[in-house]
Amino acid sequence: MKAFQQNLKQLEAADTQVLGVSMDSPFANKAFADQIGVTFPLLSDWGGDVTRQYGIYVDKYKAARRVNFLIGKDGKILEEQIDRDAIDPKKIVDACERKKVNR
Amino acid sequence: MRRKSVSTIWGVWLLTAAMVCPQILAQDNKVQGNKPAPVPMKLNVGDVAPDFKLNYFDGSDLKEVSLSQYRGKSNVVLAFYIFAFTGG
Repeated sequence: MKAFQQNLKQLEAADTQVLGVSMDSPFANKAFADQIGVTFPLLSDWGGDVTRQYGIYVDKYKAARRVNFLIGKDGKILEEQIDRDAIDPKKIVDACERKKVNR
Repeated sequence: MRRKSVSTIWGVWLLTAAMVCPQILAQDNKVQGNKPAPVPMKLNVGDVAPDFKLNYFDGSDLKEVSLSQYRGKSNVVLAFYIFAFTGG
């Protein structure tokens, strides 16, 4: 999440809204956001319905996999970063920048 | 005579095992590598992302956010993370 915060200006300049999602409660997520200085919304998928809908619920941990989806204005998925690759959002930031240039 | 043929069979078996085992181990390593074998994703690049409505707490109120509210307006990064208060 911190890595996205560091790239937030670039992402916003490329018309991109960042949303964190986890299965924590809204209040835990707010406390987490304050602690690490995140200013974008951290959404609460309490119960995990959306996590399951996106096919990334891990039964063993009772939580989501670490996955970043970049979704275009048409609602289609443009990029995916999965597990360890999802820690560094560079690929997504680059993809947004490319779209900005191509437009 | 009998004992000799038994030990020959053992010898052949051991030789074969010695030749085959490293290959099996090597294959195993190749599959495991440094990264875990990728679990296939249900949603892939090009698929339509399912719409959702989720809440977040902005400090005073619960706010509702849907994916569809950004349709035609901006790209969205959905960053799923495992638990609050963990790294990354």
